[in-house]
Amino acid sequence: MNKTIKNLLILAAIGLVIGLGVVYYIFNKPHRDVAGEKPSFKVEAKVLFKEYSANEMAGNEKYGDKVIQVTGKIVEIVKDSTEVSIVLNDEMEGVNCALNTKTVEENLNKINNFQVGDEVSLKGKCDGFDMIMGVVLTQCYLVK
Amino acid sequence: MKNILLIIAVLATGIITQINAQKYITKTGKIEIFSETPLFVIDGVNKKVASILNSANGDIVASTLIRSFRFEEALVEEHFNENYLEPNKFPKAIFKGKISNFEGVDLGKDGTYDITIVGKLTIHGQTRDIEETGKIIVENGKISASTQFNVSLKEYHIKIEKAYKKAIKDEIKLNVHFDYKFYR
Repeated sequence: MNKTIKNLLILAAIGLVIGLGVVYYIFNKPHRDVAGEKPSFKVEAKVLFKEYSANEMAGNEKYGDKVIQVTGKIVEIVKDSTEVSIVLNDEMEGVNCALNTKTVEENLNKINNFQVGDEVSLKGKCDGFDMIMGVVLTQCYLVK
Repeated sequence: MKNILLIIAVLATGIITQINAQKYITKTGKIEIFSETPLFVIDGVNKKVASILNSANGDIVASTLIRSFRFEEALVEEHFNENYLEPNKFPKAIFKGKISNFEGVDLGKDGTYDITIVGKLTIHGQTRDIEETGKIIVENGKISASTQFNVSLKEYHIKIEKAYKKAIKDEIKLNVHFDYKFYR
């Protein structure tokens, strides 16, 4: 009798630990690690814009939600208090890359030295194509 | 003949510049979405929202990509994309409309102006007429616009599974903010 109760208690304790573990996992599930992901494509900003503008659906099919690496000339740097976006390729045919806040903090000097006309490579998550912004990438990291 | 063409070209460029000069743009607008029940908090933000305001007539367009929303919790972000907004099928949200009382707004004069925004909002492939209030603030010549309103998930055919019906409210609060820049 005593033994059965003891076993039941042990079982209950194990169950509780597993249950708490699952709950903890669900609510603390890590965000997608864009920095650690290998880019699915390495593409020139010019080519990326062309593909998307020619066929948005096909563009999304190929690049949508994927981590990609784009290379191109800077045409615009948009800064506000905490956010930095770098537009590549062309003002009207842009590839608009929002930098990850951590990247901005860690590379402040480098980013402040960026100038229109510089060629850079960025890695980020491709969110799609917008009529005003062009191709949009978010959570972007600088590629050396 | 060549001269005439040149004159036309110069005039055309002038006209185009003038039209452009009447527009204000942002590519870093912000939408925050918020919903809270005792069981669940949905707290997301999208900082890649584009908008153009035409200062000649108060026309306003805004657009954003659903995938640019970021959430506090990764799981909420996953559900938002995979189960509810379905960006694979409907990648963007778009608003097209105007400020209906724009005659009362003087973008050249510092101040806070109450505005009414009327137009068509498309989310999840569904287009609905909306009429909401907001504000335009002109400060040191800088123009910003903001509005807060609720959207009903049902109205935009965003389905919540039975298991989550109690955890997620039908009304989601949107908080929209644009800092406009002069469009060259």
